[in-house]
Amino acid sequence: MSYGRFLLKRGLQGVVVVWGVISIVFLLRFITPGSPVDAVAPLDASPELRQRIAEELGLDQPLYVQYLDYLWELLQGDMGYSYISGIEASQIVVTKLPATIELAVVSSLVAITLSIPLGVISATRRHQPADYGATTFSLVGISTPNFWLGIMLVLLLSVEFGLFPTSGRAFGFVEAFRIMTAQGVSAGADAMFQWARHIVLPAITLGTYFTALITRLTRSGMLEELGQSYVQATRAKGLPESLIRYKHVLRNTLIPIITVLGLQLGTLIGGAVITESVFSWPGLGTTLINAINARDWPILQASLIVIGAGFVIVNLVVDAVYASLDPQVVAE
Amino acid sequence: MSDKDTPNVGRRKFLGFAGTAAATAMAGCGGGGGTDTDGEQNMDDTDTPTDSGGDGGDDTPTERPEPETRDGYLQRANRRAHDQSPWVFLNRQYSVYGKSADIEWEARADEFIDAYEISPATDSGDDVVINQSSMDSGLDPQDHRETPTDNIVLQAYEGLLDRDREGGIVNKLATDYSRIEDGLIRFQIRSNVSFHSGDNLTPEDVAYSINRIVDPDTGIASPQQDQLAGVTGAEVVDGERAVDVMSEGLNPIVFSLFASYGPIMNKSWVEANENSYVNQNIDGTGPFVLETYEQDVQVVFNRNDNYWREAAEISSLTVTASSEASTRVNSLLSDESDIIVNVPPQEVSRIENNDGTSISAVPSTRVIFNAMRYDVEPFDSAEFRQAVNYAIDLESIIENVLDTFGDPTAQPTLDGFFGYNGDLDPYPYDPDEAEALVEASGYAGVEVELHTPVGRYLNDVEIAQAVAGYLDDLPNVTASVNQRDFSALASEVTDGNLETNPHWYLLGWGNETFDASQTLIPLLTSDGNLTSWSDEEFDRLISEAQSLPSEQ
Repeated sequence: MSYGRFLLKRGLQGVVVVWGVISIVFLLRFITPGSPVDAVAPLDASPELRQRIAEELGLDQPLYVQYLDYLWELLQGDMGYSYISGIEASQIVVTKLPATIELAVVSSLVAITLSIPLGVISATRRHQPADYGATTFSLVGISTPNFWLGIMLVLLLSVEFGLFPTSGRAFGFVEAFRIMTAQGVSAGADAMFQWARHIVLPAITLGTYFTALITRLTRSGMLEELGQSYVQATRAKGLPESLIRYKHVLRNTLIPIITVLGLQLGTLIGGAVITESVFSWPGLGTTLINAINARDWPILQASLIVIGAGFVIVNLVVDAVYASLDPQVVAE
Repeated sequence: MSDKDTPNVGRRKFLGFAGTAAATAMAGCGGGGGTDTDGEQNMDDTDTPTDSGGDGGDDTPTERPEPETRDGYLQRANRRAHDQSPWVFLNRQYSVYGKSADIEWEARADEFIDAYEISPATDSGDDVVINQSSMDSGLDPQDHRETPTDNIVLQAYEGLLDRDREGGIVNKLATDYSRIEDGLIRFQIRSNVSFHSGDNLTPEDVAYSINRIVDPDTGIASPQQDQLAGVTGAEVVDGERAVDVMSEGLNPIVFSLFASYGPIMNKSWVEANENSYVNQNIDGTGPFVLETYEQDVQVVFNRNDNYWREAAEISSLTVTASSEASTRVNSLLSDESDIIVNVPPQEVSRIENNDGTSISAVPSTRVIFNAMRYDVEPFDSAEFRQAVNYAIDLESIIENVLDTFGDPTAQPTLDGFFGYNGDLDPYPYDPDEAEALVEASGYAGVEVELHTPVGRYLNDVEIAQAVAGYLDDLPNVTASVNQRDFSALASEVTDGNLETNPHWYLLGWGNETFDASQTLIPLLTSDGNLTSWSDEEFDRLISEAQSLPSEQ
């Protein structure tokens, strides 16, 4: 199979997955007890008012009609309107997504820059203090629930020492950058500073588990590779140890790590819900929680579709990278 | 912390003889310039104390003379409900806020945070930040009706009438109001008021706004349609700066409704814009002008310097939201917020022990109760229903579950509301009496299940567990709790069909009109939208009450 065909096949599989997500989320609405009308109408609303609201929202149509209408509108890029606010779902998702992606990317960058060196050090200095430090850190990091970590960080660093804001997001990175180009370096630097102050704690909270996980993976991957015969062969050829470690061993170790990175990035986008909630971070996770509480199905559907599609895209990219690193994947 | 620490007997006696007048002043439009009906209102209960049950132990209503006023009928209906116990009467909720020392502000019973009333107490109190549990559900003030949204949109939109901090009716965009005849009232519209866009407020805007809510041909399927209950339409009075509002029948609480519902919008602005635009922008007449709106993130207002009253004291107002209570508390403690809403009991001490922050608690308009369906076993027995009330130690629930942020209630109507019966006391904790009543009801050995929403009301599950626990402690009843999703429970209760309701369920009910009828009619009359009870005598009392003008 050629590389192009491989990608096409994966792409088509992705489309089917997204369609599955759309359908399941849509059906969930009908097996969930309670009607969306309850979210819109006050408790004491008369049956007539409920009926009118249902008609206005199109909920009086049969299930298959609603489903086909929804699919047809989705194909045209229309994700519907919020039951509650009447605002377009696509507009809401588009304005919330950057905050979530920003948080996921910053968490991942922090995690990658910390974890891979930590893992390498840990593996190359096995059973030395650095190794014990790194393994202890990763054990604690994997075992700590992130909502608890978030609350503790806020209590210590925000409430007690006043170093960081407790919650919220002053600017997006892009807005801060725009301020820099529009209003000059000092205003821009100030905006960047505000941006950074707000994202530090949520990013640490979200990234800790990830950092710990990749550290462990890198360590065990490196150890495994270091024991391979080709390493001894290269050693025997007289290659310098650092070249062996970083050019050959680390490169081979990275393949499974990239898979996990990709999967985890998807998880970060979808799984930032709790962290976003703790920090009132105005991203897709917060939107999702609000939509669930309000039974705002169009927003709920739009958020889940975007999260689902995000997973699929990240996986596609991972597959593409993976395949280019290891041609055997394409052949399989 | 609250007036429940004072002896109840003393307070109730006082209310029984003089307090109904006070209740009227609180609930009614005493200060509003209303010219409605009898000015010598509400004397019948003080003249004839037996009418409101001043004789205590006697609970046969037929032995009392018929009431003469609407207030009297509502009080009698409350007595009937107390005696027949369609509910386990629980408590009145408190609204608990955290407040920064940078501002001066007092909470209101109806949970609306009126930023116009906030004064800076220090230099940093000029830009006020309110952090609540959720953001608005859109900025169209006629399309939504819940406290978080009100706390945003009503800083910029105003109604014809409004309420003061105690719940009394005051003028807003109306300068005067009067009842012309049954089903017809007239508002005089204030001049020299302009919308934020610069357009002047006209009677056409007022008539359009009312019709947009109540008339399907003019407007939207507004959730407020049923809250302006009975109002059928509005029209401009020829040659006058006035608007006539029509109702079906007498509509005794119509002014009270307009004090809580029906914000006024700019007709030309609404007509020129899409629904989605109206939900993300504001053109009101209020003391604050919208600066920026980030949906679900924050709303920033600036002071309206062209306001028809004096401009507000604070220069800007920001409303944000954190769904996590601990996040709100942390934002107050680190001085990022000036007012936070819904402080849970376990967080109270953190706020009180911190320099520069304090707790502000006020009895809300919400009552928490357990409805018992009158048409199913064992709740079809009044004795059994009374037994459940005797079985629970309400004082202990309030003390231990609610950390004293609640007042016990003996009736569906709250203290200070129009129609409150000051002579009713909560059922005492008397497990022996409860056990005997269960025997008398013939349902000894029965198993019952209390359905409760999770997380909808303050410590709702814990309250339900306590109630079921007390009942389960009786040797002849087994009780348990069924935790439910609120929306699913609400769907069953609100579908207009009694048979789909759980047999026994916990619910809360807010009443922004400060009038007994808005609780009694939907929740307890035979054809109420959420009723669990049918009682001819009760229905008759309510029907009589609604045929009389309010003494407001």
